[in-house]
Amino acid sequence: MTGMRGETLLWIAQRASAAVLALAVLVHLATMTYAVQGGLTAAEILGRTRGSLAWLAFYSLFVAAAAVHAPIGLRAVLAEWFGWRGRSRDAVLAVFAALLAAMGMRAVFAVFA
Amino acid sequence: MSRGGRYYALAHRISGVALALFLPLHFWALGQALEGEARLESFLRWTEQPWVRASEWAIVLALAIHLFGGVRILMIEFLSWRNWLKNLGAASVGAALAFGLLFALSSGAHAQGWPQKPVKFIVPFPPGGATDISARLVAQKLQEIWGQTIVIENRGGAAGGIGAQEAARAAPDGYTLFFPSGSVMTANQHVYAKLNYDPDKDFIPVTKVVMGPQVLVVPANSPYRTVKELIDAAKAQPGKLTFGHAGIGSQTHLAAENFVNAAGIDAVQVPYKGEGPALTALVGGETHFVLSNVAAAVGHVNGGRLRALGVTSKTEFAALPGVPPIAKTLPGFENVGWFGIVAPAGTPKEIVQKVYRDTKKALESTELKARFFVQGLVPVGNSPEEMAREMREESQLWARVVRERKIVVK
Repeated sequence: MTGMRGETLLWIAQRASAAVLALAVLVHLATMTYAVQGGLTAAEILGRTRGSLAWLAFYSLFVAAAAVHAPIGLRAVLAEWFGWRGRSRDAVLAVFAALLAAMGMRAVFAVFA
Repeated sequence: MSRGGRYYALAHRISGVALALFLPLHFWALGQALEGEARLESFLRWTEQPWVRASEWAIVLALAIHLFGGVRILMIEFLSWRNWLKNLGAASVGAALAFGLLFALSSGAHAQGWPQKPVKFIVPFPPGGATDISARLVAQKLQEIWGQTIVIENRGGAAGGIGAQEAARAAPDGYTLFFPSGSVMTANQHVYAKLNYDPDKDFIPVTKVVMGPQVLVVPANSPYRTVKELIDAAKAQPGKLTFGHAGIGSQTHLAAENFVNAAGIDAVQVPYKGEGPALTALVGGETHFVLSNVAAAVGHVNGGRLRALGVTSKTEFAALPGVPPIAKTLPGFENVGWFGIVAPAGTPKEIVQKVYRDTKKALESTELKARFFVQGLVPVGNSPEEMAREMREESQLWARVVRERKIVVK
């Protein structure tokens, strides 16, 4: 993505996904703490998550935000540290974003579907 | 950008790259692990390895640093907060996250590295009985899994009360576990007016290791050839038939009392010093019947000295082919004895979970299954929650049987 308009959109997407992730990580942390502290077994964890639309929605949002945030962050790092710019970089990062989203959603569906 | 600002930005970038590399691995591993309960169990075991734990801590650190930098950027760009305020705000969020995650991880770390020294199983009966045999068989496999010796300490007496008291007072660090029979945990509190331990408050259920039905046996020359004939005879002459058992409150005693109660008959109990003497007396015609553990009776049955009329499982039991379930005569009747592991109250949940998971894994061994089968026992390996629920239900059953049969030891 090039041009001022594109850069602005990426900047907004980066900040918006960061805000979502900051909140989502805290909710995820509270959930994990509960599960670990409660000493839940695998069967119990899956028993509580499967069929829950609210958790499905929350973690889908989490994965979506991560799939947006991480590639945009790496984009800046690749440019600043390695001087890698242009379409080839963006194409690789688009594949990375798609992989991240696909693997994330696979995990989400394994937990909640 | 100030010098400090540049350092913050660099830390944010480095931690961001670390997280971006970790995230696909994390998603991939979760997707693999969450495909089923068994895979999740093995994944949870995998995460107990020291290097996985160390990686988790590194990721926590990266997450806290990245979140600190991110929140700081958002505060500068959107809120125009002053320097000290934005740093304070961002640091609070980062620290909260780090402490929260470290708290979660450290609670899981109780089980990390456990056991690092020999583990003791207190068995509340003398060597050679079904409880002792069960404990020794499963301990052999657990020793292989844990790489530590398991010491079996037999503390017999007071229907399991002596061993239970010692186990209840042991340090709750996972290095002393209790291996009782079911009656010690679910019946003694109803049978004995005074008990020196509290089965509910002093212990945490871990897992039932094995279960097994009893078998209703009569002497080979007994006139009773079926469960119905025995019940009819007892009804025709109330209080005349006698049954032997291994001692007041023992599983064989309670199984017989449960049968007598369900059949609605009146029979007189005769206590012996153990299951063996009770069966020897039965062979000699001193009593009319015994509800024995399969392991103890099967030799007499195969040797033609005793006749098996029925098993107390709901369906026919593989170790005694051709012997019908008593439930065929008394619909719904079931009496299953069990032997399992409980931990002193206060034992960390992570250790309880590890003992449960590893015992379950040990019970999947074909060799162990076969060795238990020979003893007339079936591996269980249920979860602590399932064991707790089953113990509550069983305790209610024994409370009723003990009340109705007026079995109380003062």
